[in-house]
Amino acid sequence: MDSMMAFSELTELTRNDKYVQYELFFGPNFPGMHGNFGYILDVAGSTITKVRPNPGLLHRGFEKLMEQKLWLQNLSLIPRICVPDPDPNEVAYCSAVEKIMGIDIPERAKFIRTITLELSRITSLLMGMGALGAMMGHYTVMYRMMQDRDRVLDMFEWLTGARVYHIYNTIGGVSRDLPEGWIEKTEAVLDELEGNIPEWDKLLFDNPVIHTRLTGIGPLTEEEAVQYGIVGPSLRASGSTADVRKDDPYAAYPYLDFEIPRTGGGDALNRAIQVRLEFAESIKLVKKALHMIPEGDFKIKLGNSLKLIVPKGDAYARVESSKGEYGYYIVSNGGVKPYRVSVRGPSLPGGLALCHKHLPGMLIDDVAIWMASFAVCPPDFDR
Amino acid sequence: MKRNEIMEKIKAGFPGADAEPRFSNQIHAAVPAAQITGFITYLKQMDFKHLVNITCVDWIEENQFEVVYNVWSYEHHIHITVKSVIDRTKPELQSISSLWPAAQVYEQEIHEMFGVVFLGNPDLGPLFLHNWLDLPPLRKDFNAEEYSGAAYGFVETDTAEATCIVPMEEN
Repeated sequence: MDSMMAFSELTELTRNDKYVQYELFFGPNFPGMHGNFGYILDVAGSTITKVRPNPGLLHRGFEKLMEQKLWLQNLSLIPRICVPDPDPNEVAYCSAVEKIMGIDIPERAKFIRTITLELSRITSLLMGMGALGAMMGHYTVMYRMMQDRDRVLDMFEWLTGARVYHIYNTIGGVSRDLPEGWIEKTEAVLDELEGNIPEWDKLLFDNPVIHTRLTGIGPLTEEEAVQYGIVGPSLRASGSTADVRKDDPYAAYPYLDFEIPRTGGGDALNRAIQVRLEFAESIKLVKKALHMIPEGDFKIKLGNSLKLIVPKGDAYARVESSKGEYGYYIVSNGGVKPYRVSVRGPSLPGGLALCHKHLPGMLIDDVAIWMASFAVCPPDFDR
Repeated sequence: MKRNEIMEKIKAGFPGADAEPRFSNQIHAAVPAAQITGFITYLKQMDFKHLVNITCVDWIEENQFEVVYNVWSYEHHIHITVKSVIDRTKPELQSISSLWPAAQVYEQEIHEMFGVVFLGNPDLGPLFLHNWLDLPPLRKDFNAEEYSGAAYGFVETDTAEATCIVPMEEN
């Protein structure tokens, strides 16, 4: 029994600063971390005293790489910037290029783009809600939601040929028309998804354990959220109604009638409920849009795609992704390749700036929940 | 405020700035580098409270860096792209990190990727690149292919067949 420590010895250890104050690498290899990102935490006991974000492990140099590829070749790169929600990348890139070129896409293409964006939002929100559940040890929700997400991915596979990286939206429209029977089948899938919402409420959103666990984590007022640059559902959960789909309309959103749910309160619980309400609203929105698709072309003919030239100029285009404003700032010098592409991911302000305000004083146990509730997705700043 | 009123206010406050409308709800503004902090503060007071991002473009032929600030107003629903040109050989600009916390991170990234020095930014240390000793990588004179060859070695191939590369003319 010599190797075992006596209780009194253990107590003695807790008086030693060396064991009480230490540095903890929260990520890149940590079950609660999304992607190869990490926070280096200075910890006293289990309370965080200081935080240093440690990005760069996932940096793939996309912005440099895009300067070396043709305008249309880049379409196969950009969805990879954000894995769970790839379509906002495609649409933001295409609309920025279309703005520089001064072209307007056909109405039918606008509706198809809107539908892919909303379906992508649904898959991403399912993943986000599931991840939040998983961070609280509620893996059932995660697996069940992934099952639902897979149903939508099946529809994407039918439409675009790919499950995750669709590469479907292209400069001047979308790359192919809707297949026959796709609309009916998508409606059936959406009905099924809508039918599962009461189950999510029961498992997660009305669950008293979850309420207790989430209340008070990461409180944020509307003013602070704007000051920090927080966007999307996290901003709206603080009481704002700002939504790119309403404020700076693009694609077919001006033709569609939809509501932006509003919660207020601004802690992790409100953010979770905001996401849940937006999920239900998105399903309704796609259902409406599916019935309104006009006939016509789905793409403008722009000639040989390998020789596509974009006139000199620059433009910023934004899209409301599942995590908030996703923007591309593109500069062209009149060549066959972009001169500069800059990506504005929605996670950077939360993941790299707000963490300095929120994490100190928090327990280690809450960090993963904090990240999931702000939907911090490292690939979009570590691009 | 409508877009015209905002443009008039910009011209009244900063006669040296050049503002033009573009697209349906955007304004393009070019501001002398010395006035950038004042100009952005002025915009923030006009309810342009959302800093979208800060980025940089390397115009190597003109020997210039163009630092680009994108701001958005939740009140007016107007987007302003502010551009400021600085000399490429002495890339220095006043920091706006005191206006928005996220600006500090954007500036740190630009410093790392382009080598622009933001005077007054509290932390311009490495962010994404670990132990980087070469030129800032997003500069146009940084050759990515050469760098990766030197760092990781070139793959020796004898024929085009081995690499499956087909020249574009034959495609």
